[in-house]
Amino acid sequence: MITTVVLKKEKEVRTLLLKAIERGQQALSEYESKLVVAAAGVPITQEVLVHSRQEAMDQAAVIGFPVVIKGSSPALTHKTEIGMVLVNLKNREDAAQAYDELMGKGIDLDGVLIQKMVKGNREFVIGLTRDPQFGPCVMFGIGGIFTEAMKDVSFRVAPLTEEDAQEMISEIKAGKLLDAFRGEGAVNREVLVRALVGIGNLGMACDEIAEIDINPLIVTEGLPVAVDALVILKTHKT
Amino acid sequence: MEMFFDPKSIVVIGASNAPFNLGATICTMLKDYLQYTGDVYALNLKGEAVNGYPGYSSILDIPKTPDLAVIIVAARNVPGIIKDCAVKGIKRIIIETAGFSEGGEDGKAMQQEIDNIARVNGIRIMGPNCLGTLSTRKKFCCFYGVNPSLVEMSQIFEVPGNISYIIQSGGVAVLVMESLYYDVVGVNKVVSIGNKCDVDEADLIDYFQKDETEVIGIYLENVANGRKLMDAAKKSRKPILIYKVGKTPEGAMAAMSHTAGMANNDSIFDSACKQAGIIRLQSIDELHSLPKIFTEMPLLKGKRIAMFTNSGAFGSIAADLLVEAGLQMVHLSSQTQEKLKKAGKAFNIKNPVDIGPAPPQTYLDIFEILLAADEVDGLLPLLSVWQPFVIDTLLELMKICKRYDKPAAIYTANAIAKSIAIRAKHRIPIFETSEQAVRALSVSHAYYESLLKRNFISAPASSAASGLENNIGAWAEAAS
Repeated sequence: MITTVVLKKEKEVRTLLLKAIERGQQALSEYESKLVVAAAGVPITQEVLVHSRQEAMDQAAVIGFPVVIKGSSPALTHKTEIGMVLVNLKNREDAAQAYDELMGKGIDLDGVLIQKMVKGNREFVIGLTRDPQFGPCVMFGIGGIFTEAMKDVSFRVAPLTEEDAQEMISEIKAGKLLDAFRGEGAVNREVLVRALVGIGNLGMACDEIAEIDINPLIVTEGLPVAVDALVILKTHKT
Repeated sequence: MEMFFDPKSIVVIGASNAPFNLGATICTMLKDYLQYTGDVYALNLKGEAVNGYPGYSSILDIPKTPDLAVIIVAARNVPGIIKDCAVKGIKRIIIETAGFSEGGEDGKAMQQEIDNIARVNGIRIMGPNCLGTLSTRKKFCCFYGVNPSLVEMSQIFEVPGNISYIIQSGGVAVLVMESLYYDVVGVNKVVSIGNKCDVDEADLIDYFQKDETEVIGIYLENVANGRKLMDAAKKSRKPILIYKVGKTPEGAMAAMSHTAGMANNDSIFDSACKQAGIIRLQSIDELHSLPKIFTEMPLLKGKRIAMFTNSGAFGSIAADLLVEAGLQMVHLSSQTQEKLKKAGKAFNIKNPVDIGPAPPQTYLDIFEILLAADEVDGLLPLLSVWQPFVIDTLLELMKICKRYDKPAAIYTANAIAKSIAIRAKHRIPIFETSEQAVRALSVSHAYYESLLKRNFISAPASSAASGLENNIGAWAEAAS
């Protein structure tokens, strides 16, 4: 029973990737990265890219408080470390202040990202890498800030069957986190399987993508949602 | 590919009468030990005959076109020789010489030149930096430097078997063959592929689908084309066991993402094995210790294992190992326990079944009760007594296994030396440690599952029903 997850909007994804490469970007911005992984079937946070203080306040209100505000730029691959992520903003004033703070850092931004603040205690990671011998490979595991310290991850060579995805989910040591846990329901495995298969297919379809990190993928009310994503591009300067 | 293993004529390029000449060792082996019936030509600067085989100084002078050329000369001379081979129309070449892609830039350039000539002329190449091929059934071997006068080496050819090995290193190839002298299963073919500039493990997996091979054992130092290997393995109807060296992370340095930083070649190779139905070995010894569970026993189709022991200690040790390996200690049904009670001599009629001194027939009765039980998928007999009649008893056990289509992984604690001494002669698959025996059951089951997953076989309809009976048995016992 192999279901192929069709890459939605393949044309748009490819155009986005090619344009970024033309501009000499090494990576996509978070906003662009999320468009790409969403096209592969990964649920993403509700978010809007804004360019003014007023827009920031208005859009935050539309999304609903609390929100998260992040500086957006393809050059920012690790935002938290340089204070480009401000969380738990409860009202319009908070949003406006956050906007000013990020713009005041003197970093070249292509906008400011307003996101719904996703709440959940369980954080996972989905990734894509290219092995020199096996090509695109998908990773799944424990996400969040401890990802690299714990290294509780599993891999599969793309393309993945649904069975491959099920197996790799079951393979991590902290597999219990996928079941009902401390008052939260079990993780929707079907969505997770679809996301893993989709990321594998994305790797097969788009040679332009070198690596992907979707971390954290936060489980909220049983549904895994990509809160941050990073698509690294292949630089063609061999 | 057949011509690499069964050539009707061969030229050994670099065979001469100089002292310690490696090409000459190939001529000696072919003539004196294998009584090879094909034509052999020696090629050297002087054009001198070697060990009675006619010699030439140019390939172009050889009266006919040999099926196979084996090259063992300095690396710098190889590209020119390949050109001559192409002119002569030789289509199969084994380059045993080292010093190519593993030997720096010059080597790589020469490698490129060779690849180009071969591609244009439709030549298939094995190596470089290898030992070449061995076929027990065809009594052919072009390994250099192997001493075929060893009695054990000739045994390999006397009793052809059904394992074929693809071994990247020549040294390991010989080591694995040596380990098989005292084991049950013999060799069909061995090939040392070296740098595998052309013929690689995937080509050979395909080739071994069509011959007498029953199990494919592989030792790899690197995977050249991972996807080609996976595709060949997925199609294979014969178990593939791979031992791969090199667990160090590579390529992680340049990674920008966390994913690439955590990915290392080893964990990805591991995943690829799972996806392609390859059994990944934990030690090099498993290349020779495990194949017999496939060639001599039916596959393990479920996880429920019944244990038979003469000593409670071995039962406890093996029970831990079984659980670690993902197998289960079966809960014997009340009917099965009743039958065991009637058979007599049992100290314990629950799993592990423990019996004291008893005549051989009692052993066989108990083996049969256990293998016949629906709730049992396989047997782990741990025998710590050794009498002359044990051989016959074990031969009988093998028949019972075939009758019920369930495997037994035999381990003879306290009688290992005796078991090893007789197992090759009587063809009884005896494992040397309880770890090996449990591991054999576990790989047998893993292979069965991979066949199911690949839709090569379908699951028997009765398996769910037998699980149910097992549960009923457990409940009935709990109630009593």
